[in-house]
Amino acid sequence: MDDLIIQLILPLVILQLILIVVALVDLRRVDETRGPKWVWILIIIFGNLAGPIIYFIVGRKG
Amino acid sequence: MSIMSANHLTKIFQNHTVVDDLSFTLETGKCVALLGPNGAGKTTTLRMLAGFIKPSQGNIQFDEEQFTKDIRHYVGYLPQYPVFHNWMTGEEFLIYVGQLAYLSKNDAKTKAQELLDLVRLGDDKQKRIGKYSGGMKQRLGIAQALMHDPQLIILDEPVSSLDPIGRREVLNLIRELKKDATILFSTHILNDAEEVSDDILLLNHGKLLKQGAIHEIHSQQETKTIYLAFQDEPKFIEERLKEINSVFNIKRENAGFAITVHDVNEARSQLLEVIQSEGWNLTKFEVLTSSLEDIFIKAVTE
Amino acid sequence: MQWQTIYKKEMLDHWRHFKWIWVPIVFILFAVMDPLTAYFMPIILESAGNVPEGATIDIPNPSVGEAMIMSFSQLNMLGVLIAVVISMGLISRELSTGVYELILSKPVRYSHYITAKFTAMMTLLSVSIIIALITGWYYVTVLFGDLAFTQLLTSAIFYIFYFMLILSIVMVFNSFLTSPGLVAFLSIFTVVVLNAITSIFDHVITWSPMLISDYIGTYFFSGEIETDLYFSTGIAIIISLLLLWLSIFLLKRQEMH
Repeated sequence: MDDLIIQLILPLVILQLILIVVALVDLRRVDETRGPKWVWILIIIFGNLAGPIIYFIVGRKG
Repeated sequence: MSIMSANHLTKIFQNHTVVDDLSFTLETGKCVALLGPNGAGKTTTLRMLAGFIKPSQGNIQFDEEQFTKDIRHYVGYLPQYPVFHNWMTGEEFLIYVGQLAYLSKNDAKTKAQELLDLVRLGDDKQKRIGKYSGGMKQRLGIAQALMHDPQLIILDEPVSSLDPIGRREVLNLIRELKKDATILFSTHILNDAEEVSDDILLLNHGKLLKQGAIHEIHSQQETKTIYLAFQDEPKFIEERLKEINSVFNIKRENAGFAITVHDVNEARSQLLEVIQSEGWNLTKFEVLTSSLEDIFIKAVTE
Repeated sequence: MQWQTIYKKEMLDHWRHFKWIWVPIVFILFAVMDPLTAYFMPIILESAGNVPEGATIDIPNPSVGEAMIMSFSQLNMLGVLIAVVISMGLISRELSTGVYELILSKPVRYSHYITAKFTAMMTLLSVSIIIALITGWYYVTVLFGDLAFTQLLTSAIFYIFYFMLILSIVMVFNSFLTSPGLVAFLSIFTVVVLNAITSIFDHVITWSPMLISDYIGTYFFSGEIETDLYFSTGIAIIISLLLLWLSIFLLKRQEMH
């Protein structure tokens, strides 16, 4: 049972982490965001799955 | 030979006539300034000529033998506020629009490099356009207009947003481009028009007020001004001057008189004759050519 | 050649903005979320520890087919939502910022402009959907039993045409509006209305493309592709093409002031 959980959940955790890292990399690179950048850092890291998604959709300016 | 002619060009946006019955021709190889105050309809006119908005009435005719395809193949256009894909580099963008105009990838690359050097963006070609300054964007805008070697270059306010140095650079560039292409550029600054253009089109409230070569417009003026000044102002001088038949109007200006006349040559001899016979002590006699600015202000405020 | 130029530039755009990373990942997470939750629900409830002594938890485990349908239904909701918002500015943003003016001053054909953008976005969506559904299928087969891979792949291909319809609706609003937000709102509104109409008259309009995912569901149970699935997919393709044609027509009429 535990093996199965690790085997199935771990890849999803990794995907979620990739999502967060990519969002943070983009945030660092982008010139301007809607609202202050530090707020977006919080949203991306603590916003669960929705955090990075919301950033990608509405975070960037221009 | 004319490259293009506009016939009764009219554009109406929601019952508001922005361009009103414009007719003119562009001669091949000329540099023409479309002159007018803000809101005169310059941008709308240029957009119609560039082929991406349609006139409400009238038409634009290009030389059919010379231009067989969509006219955008032959026209380079710089909008007043050029906007780019900010995530692309300057070089990528030029290659992109070059390919849109059916250049091969290699040709587009070569041309892009050539133009980047011409507009002095060679060192910044790998930078994202988002990082460019306003002046750099304006220069990139000019470069993109030239990517497909257009025969007609249309520039909407190419220098208005630039600082004096940038302005000088762009004007020099226009002078350079004049050698190979016909140029039509709009401006509300008279000096720019006077400096580089051969012909002007003067536009206000969507109507064409004056057109022609700059020197012709100067000489076309119906009235001219002669300025006279005297050491001691003679008595009854105004009454006496008014009797001269070529004098149209007299106005005191500074210490002398600005005299508006119909015919300069006739007025000159008549005036000098009167001055001599009256024995007035003349200190200054000057025939003033009215500047383009006078013509502009006169035409626009009438 | 011009078409390829625009297509490549759009693909580069999707790549530079990391869409090629985050859209597939998000779709995968959507596709595995529900089957996984359904499987672990009894364990989660048990470990919550508020079960009275002696009571047994008896939640029937979903069948393989039902579990696979869960994958699809998440994509049907959230996947569509994501598809709409990542394409809401495809043209409308270019219209509102003015890039459009520069692009259109070159001899760009309106049909190239629209269909290249559409195809690039469709490429991204199709790849994301297929990767997501394959991952979903893997999870479902590990947890709930066997399901033929070919059956999954066939369904996924039908399903892509449903997204094609959604994207072509977004393209229509893109071609005459300059506000991406408004484009997204009206597109979603349209999808909701079409769904409502379909569910009210589902016995009459059995060919509605909104039923594609329902028919895919029955395919998982019966193993047979119903003619209704072919019909509704065919209608989706026809309507998509008509909407693309409409977008081209509307964009041509678009004038900047």
